[in-house]
Amino acid sequence: MSAASSRTEPGRPAAAGGQREVPRHVACVMDGNGRWAQSRSLPRTSGHRAAEAPVIDVIEAARTAGVGWLSLYAFSTENWQRPTAEVDFLMHLVRRVVRKHAPLLLARGIRCRFLGVTDPRIPAPLARDFADLMTLTDANRGMTLTVAFDHGGRRDIVEAARSLIRSGVPADAVDERQFAAHLPFPDTPDVDLVIRTSGEQRISNFMLWQVAYAEWVFPPVLWPDFRAPHFLECLRTYRQRDRRFGGVPPHPNGDSPA
Amino acid sequence: MTDPGSPSTAPGPRQGSPSDLFGPDSQFHRFFNDPRWALAMVRATVLEAAHPQIGAALIDNSTFVTHPWRRLRNTLVSLQRMFGPDEATRQREAARLNRMHTRFTGTDEQQRPYDAMDPEVRAWVVATLFESSVTMCRLSGQPLDPATMDRLYAEFRGFLAALDGGAGHLPPTLQDFWPYYDRMVNEELEGTEALRIILYRLFDHLPAPPLLGGMPTVWAAGRALAGPAIGTITVASLPEPFRRRAGLPEIPGAQTLMHSAYVAAGLARFLPENLLQTDYLTGLLALSPDSDDPRLTALRARMKRAGALVRLVAPVPAQRTPDEAAEPRRSAAEFFTEVLDQTGDGFVGWPDLAAMAREISSRLDLDEPAETRIYSAFADWWRELQTALDTDGDGRISSAEYAAAVPSLAGPALIRVAEVLFDATDANGDQSIDAAEYRALFRTGFHRSVPAAEARYSRSAFVADFLSFMSGRRRSTAYDPLLTGT
Repeated sequence: MSAASSRTEPGRPAAAGGQREVPRHVACVMDGNGRWAQSRSLPRTSGHRAAEAPVIDVIEAARTAGVGWLSLYAFSTENWQRPTAEVDFLMHLVRRVVRKHAPLLLARGIRCRFLGVTDPRIPAPLARDFADLMTLTDANRGMTLTVAFDHGGRRDIVEAARSLIRSGVPADAVDERQFAAHLPFPDTPDVDLVIRTSGEQRISNFMLWQVAYAEWVFPPVLWPDFRAPHFLECLRTYRQRDRRFGGVPPHPNGDSPA
Repeated sequence: MTDPGSPSTAPGPRQGSPSDLFGPDSQFHRFFNDPRWALAMVRATVLEAAHPQIGAALIDNSTFVTHPWRRLRNTLVSLQRMFGPDEATRQREAARLNRMHTRFTGTDEQQRPYDAMDPEVRAWVVATLFESSVTMCRLSGQPLDPATMDRLYAEFRGFLAALDGGAGHLPPTLQDFWPYYDRMVNEELEGTEALRIILYRLFDHLPAPPLLGGMPTVWAAGRALAGPAIGTITVASLPEPFRRRAGLPEIPGAQTLMHSAYVAAGLARFLPENLLQTDYLTGLLALSPDSDDPRLTALRARMKRAGALVRLVAPVPAQRTPDEAAEPRRSAAEFFTEVLDQTGDGFVGWPDLAAMAREISSRLDLDEPAETRIYSAFADWWRELQTALDTDGDGRISSAEYAAAVPSLAGPALIRVAEVLFDATDANGDQSIDAAEYRALFRTGFHRSVPAAEARYSRSAFVADFLSFMSGRRRSTAYDPLLTGT
């Protein structure tokens, strides 16, 4: 199995009657900031600014609900194509948010990671803050928060392939497990649930390998309006789906063809 | 002058053999890891500096303002050797201290001579150490009982005897000590310049210890609060007649603050034990952040996290250009103040170069004749510098004179310094410097500074690096902490 093989039964809290309590790894595609701002006749940037509150809300909600891994899609490799002013604004905003909430994340025992962050266009101080936050929270053993920033799922796969070739593994010896070990943060389990806000239904090159067996929910609410109750609602949806198909697959991540 | 090699004869009624006085069971050792001792040592240093001869010697020779941490570490190591159980170590350390102090002679601004080997002066230094230890206990509300005080006095007299070959200049009994002390305070002490520097400049400008050098903001913030407080506490703990005579301020509440500080420091004995290991702590602070010392490796992860947190919560600094920090060369003015001017008086003279020789000798723990070879090499270099650079003939080199003549710096005498330094560092004489020898001199990780391929440091590479540091003004991971380290 993929990197997800570590996510199977043993580490799971006992789930009565085969029902899964809480998804182990939840990912959010934070969509709808621009539309939220436009609907209020505000500049797009104010939509990004309004995205901070739900981020903190969701982190708290996920932690409280017992989610072990939370991933947020903050900035894709494609987002560089946006207007320079907007990109600059985002960089400043992210830096401010990271610095503002660093003590809180530390205090909450959350381990923070940044997935991607390779483009030289990322300002050096921001990259430094990312590195600092990772160092600071490295020893935390609470929830792991992965922020995908300058992330592209295909790029990760290509990088893994390169790394695999460089390591000189014979072609026949490559299996999913071995391939996954060359992805960034190979200890990350498969994503169980992806929440994409604003009703859009696309993958958008997000953690392609890890979402292979994920359940997807598409709440219509725009990200700046997304709050803890919405998040909990998504978890409930996930549970119901699981219950509907429960008992059939021994491997919840879907070895079954249907 | 006293013969440095003479055995300690320890006269006096209360003293037995030295091994009875010193060692782990001594009263001194009970105090050594006592946090109150930090306050007591500051107080003792102020009382020493108030002695006109000591004050003048400090002003002329000491690097304690520019390199206080280095000085503190050397003092503590020395005291531990002097009060340790091993008689041979004690005699060796006494000889070393005597050699060092022989070099401190001169005249003060009023043309009064000073001499660090003057037995009365040395007796006063020991007296302040003893009296401050006693006072520290009184001020924190736990006065020593008479027997303990007697014993402590005997130990300090033994210390002076080991140093001087006799303790004749300290009164033989505690009864006679107090009149002696009061007379010194009332008649001898002055409000010297050195005293004012310690009280009002040292702690306000105290540079961060090497280990915390990467966090200047936090250090400055803590110092802004602690600096004036230490000065105030120390003044309040000085004898009242002296405060009056030296014109030191009476600040409302200072007495209360001082008592609280001593009591609070006294309570710190309930903290976990390893937090209070004075030598452990100062040893740690003296390491450079990239050292591969095992103590530090264990601490580094935590330090890294602390540093990351500090950077994250610190206000966003003004945008810096990325290449600003990577500049490997420094200007002539920077090199002058950071490396050459060890005493921080704005001029380079023999005391500055002697301070370099002293630091190197004590790091390498040199005995005669190696120590003299280092000093002579530095003295030759000083003559070479003086001839080349002292254009106005005032016996010292100003920053302007230095800047005007930099290229001529790498003369034969400097090369000789490099050679002698190599010989001294190469303790086992195999013509290369291994990791242990390297760490003795630089206290930093061997593998980080030496090209990875070779596990040893050859004579030619060593000399070349030293010269490029000294003349090319190139920043260096090894020499910078050695000569600019605080």
